[in-house]
Amino acid sequence: MKKTHIIGIIVIAISIGVIFGSINDSSTYSNFTESSKNEQAEFHIVGYLNKEKPQVYEPQKNPDLFQFYMYDKDSVERKVVLHKSKPQDFDRSEQIVIIGKSKKNEFHADQILMKCPSKYDNGSPEFQSPEELEKERTANS
Amino acid sequence: MKYIGEHLFVGQLGNFFVVTSFCFALLAMLSYFYASKNEDKTWKKLANVSFIGHTASVFGIVAVLFYMLMNQYFEYYYVWQHSSKALPLRYIFSCFWEGQEGSFLLWTFWHTVLGSIIIWRNGKLTTSVMAIFSSVQVFLSSMLLGVYILEYKVGSNPFTVLLRDHPEFVNLPLFKSADYLLHLDGRGLNPLLQNYWMTIHPPTLFLGFASTLVPFAYALAGLWKKRYNEWIKPAMPWTIFSVMILGTGILMGGAWAYEALSFGGFWAWDPVENASLVPWLTLVGGMHLMLIQEKKGGVSFTMFGMVLISFILILYSTFLTRSGILGDSSVHAFTDLGMSGQLLLYLLSYIFIAIVALVVNYKSLPRNKKEEDLWTREFWMFTGSLVLFISSFQILISTSIPVINKIFGSALAPPSDAISHYNSWQIPFVILVLLFMSFSQFLKYKKSAFKSFSKAILRSLIAALVISGIIGFLLKMTNPFELFLLFTGSFAVLGNLDYWLSILKGKIRHAGSSISHIGFGVMMIGALISMSQQKNISNNTSSFDVEQLGDEFENKENILLMENDTLPMDDYYVSYRGKEEEGVNVYFLVEYMKRLPNGDFESVFTLRPRVQTNPRMGNVAEPDTRHFLDKDIYTHVTWAILEEDKKDEEEYGEPEVKNVKVGDTLYLKQSIVILDSVRRILPIDIKQVELQESDIAVEAKLIAWDFNTKKHTLRPLFIVKDTSEIYGLPDGIEDIGLKVSFNNINPKDGSIELTFIQKNVSRDFIVMQAIVFPYINLLWLGCFIMIIGTIIAIYSRVKFGK
Repeated sequence: MKKTHIIGIIVIAISIGVIFGSINDSSTYSNFTESSKNEQAEFHIVGYLNKEKPQVYEPQKNPDLFQFYMYDKDSVERKVVLHKSKPQDFDRSEQIVIIGKSKKNEFHADQILMKCPSKYDNGSPEFQSPEELEKERTANS
Repeated sequence: MKYIGEHLFVGQLGNFFVVTSFCFALLAMLSYFYASKNEDKTWKKLANVSFIGHTASVFGIVAVLFYMLMNQYFEYYYVWQHSSKALPLRYIFSCFWEGQEGSFLLWTFWHTVLGSIIIWRNGKLTTSVMAIFSSVQVFLSSMLLGVYILEYKVGSNPFTVLLRDHPEFVNLPLFKSADYLLHLDGRGLNPLLQNYWMTIHPPTLFLGFASTLVPFAYALAGLWKKRYNEWIKPAMPWTIFSVMILGTGILMGGAWAYEALSFGGFWAWDPVENASLVPWLTLVGGMHLMLIQEKKGGVSFTMFGMVLISFILILYSTFLTRSGILGDSSVHAFTDLGMSGQLLLYLLSYIFIAIVALVVNYKSLPRNKKEEDLWTREFWMFTGSLVLFISSFQILISTSIPVINKIFGSALAPPSDAISHYNSWQIPFVILVLLFMSFSQFLKYKKSAFKSFSKAILRSLIAALVISGIIGFLLKMTNPFELFLLFTGSFAVLGNLDYWLSILKGKIRHAGSSISHIGFGVMMIGALISMSQQKNISNNTSSFDVEQLGDEFENKENILLMENDTLPMDDYYVSYRGKEEEGVNVYFLVEYMKRLPNGDFESVFTLRPRVQTNPRMGNVAEPDTRHFLDKDIYTHVTWAILEEDKKDEEEYGEPEVKNVKVGDTLYLKQSIVILDSVRRILPIDIKQVELQESDIAVEAKLIAWDFNTKKHTLRPLFIVKDTSEIYGLPDGIEDIGLKVSFNNINPKDGSIELTFIQKNVSRDFIVMQAIVFPYINLLWLGCFIMIIGTIIAIYSRVKFGK
């Protein structure tokens, strides 16, 4: 057998290892109900912010602690404890992905991804005049 | 209604160029095809003219779009969408390529430039190469057409007019008046792109993307015309150029992320970054295989595979970033413009063409009969290229998780800790690549004697062991993988340096590869040290919610800085000095100070991380970094109060009574106060009131240090007038919001009674993160060396045809 054949076989073997290894490393998108069943495992949860309930961020006490309530895609609501500073523009987020683990009735997240569609969308017809913008801005703050 | 002030002619001109560019591309493709098939001069002439016509049209589109952006013709959707009146002119380039149409245009533009150079050089295989080139141009030009064919929209046109082509706008109140243009302002540019890196990174990256088409087209032409080896020589300088420019583009993206995004590093393994790194890796592999094939042969199948797949991976990465499929997993992917079907067709067509070309030619590809010898340069180059392939394959698989989900309907999420996931996979691959590159040059093509080879590398091997040992020891590195990487990195640098100096006698002409390899080694060492030794210095040293501590989520990456407080952070003392507003930007002044032996603070530097406010698209925080020769200090404001709330009327609060002895220290809201002395003074010295000789006056001297460590002195008085009337004369300092009055003396314990009235301050604060990246300059130095090395290689190839 030629050396190139041996190398070829090794390459194929490693490639198969890479496929399974990389996929094995991946996490899963899930919901709060699933994450409560296994408090050891890490989950990605996609959902949206409950804007009715209070958000607690007291940087004077702990700048790396932010609490809010969030619905997952099945509309199950859970208190989320984010161990990071409150992201700028948090209130504008329309979709949130949190990464972490369940702990009793809370979900402790150490990473958060937010999607503010306005940043990337391609121009919705809901055109706003500067006045409207100002109104919206004051309403948000 | 007749609208006033619209500029409809430019749009029509733009559309005219869009149509001509597509038609010329189609004509060029067909005529190059016939020219190549029949070796026909007339067809070739027609083809060249068509391609030049196509090039001119593309230049025309670019010029028109620029003109519209420049003059802010908001009646055009593209201008309205990506620009606004307030936008500074210097970001006009960013507007140009913010949208998909603009970035496709940029890509097309580079293809026309590269294609024109190929026509001008007019070497071997030109017609076949240009036939493939033009076919790509047909696809790309169609992306701008924006016409409906059988109810399917082909392309997205950048010259559509809001009121005519976008019916959803017509009924908005603003557009009811004929002079709507007077009131119309654009949506504005995404604040992330309002950055100087965004004016140079995209064109460089797109030139990189475009340049991969050249080796692809040559390789395909080689297969088509069965010139399995002849295509390599003309394609070689292009391939090196592509490696250089694509690499530079990727690194600029890293520099942008490091300087302007809050990733906290130059490489975050973001899907969009990965998508352009993968084809670079395969192209580097392909380039080395081309070298082997040129010198010795025997690797044609792998070589064709790697070169062809590089361009296909570029198409795939375009598909990934533009189809919206990465949506959940990346910060900077585009959303779908309804062109993903078209992109997919484009991608699948070229996959199909490449596979067919390889399969048809498989049997007739030249092969070497002889068994390869282990100690040859080509053997290790070949193995190294395969390692690059596997490395890119791993990145590709992990990045493609959203695609895997789409195809198999699974719910996989990307690895939670992307950086450690990719690092743990990629470090072994980098170690192997560095190891192979350190000694391969000492081997000869075809055959080398192992003995003389081992003698030649011994010196750099030992030097690398010693140097990496010393560095590892000084930096207290313990991770065996990192140490091994440090060693192979040093070995790669020293081995190539030794080869260049002792075997090539330091001649520049042949030094391209050695210098590039040195650069790559230095870059990897820089990446290793700055990543593994990076230190978050903003651990919270202020008061802390203790209850939340002690679980696994404990996180202390941010620090709270009250305005004008001074907190220790690593080797520095840091103070937040307030914010400055400049247009849409709010700058936060963060002063880094050193403590002098006498206790005073000396300012070392001030960083100005900023937040770009943008009510429509959301605020964007941008870090600021101080660069030193041996380290960078990165500072990022993670949270701040942006709205200037009316500060609570700065009123003085309730008085507090305290018994104080001389020498006592009091910690107050805005100062630290020490009771320095209590002494009796002569009544005559008192100016405030008129006193008799017989009256008694006692002065309490208080030293107050504010948080700038500035010293203030307060002298409240205690007065006994006419032996019975007792009163205090208070003293106060507005700057530190403090008033003190002296009420009584307790003879028993020698203390005095003071009343403090303090101002209620709602002080401004920021939450920030600071990271030290040691020796990150090695990384950039490595990049420069590598780029210089590749330029030398291109130059020698073109000039001496080496």
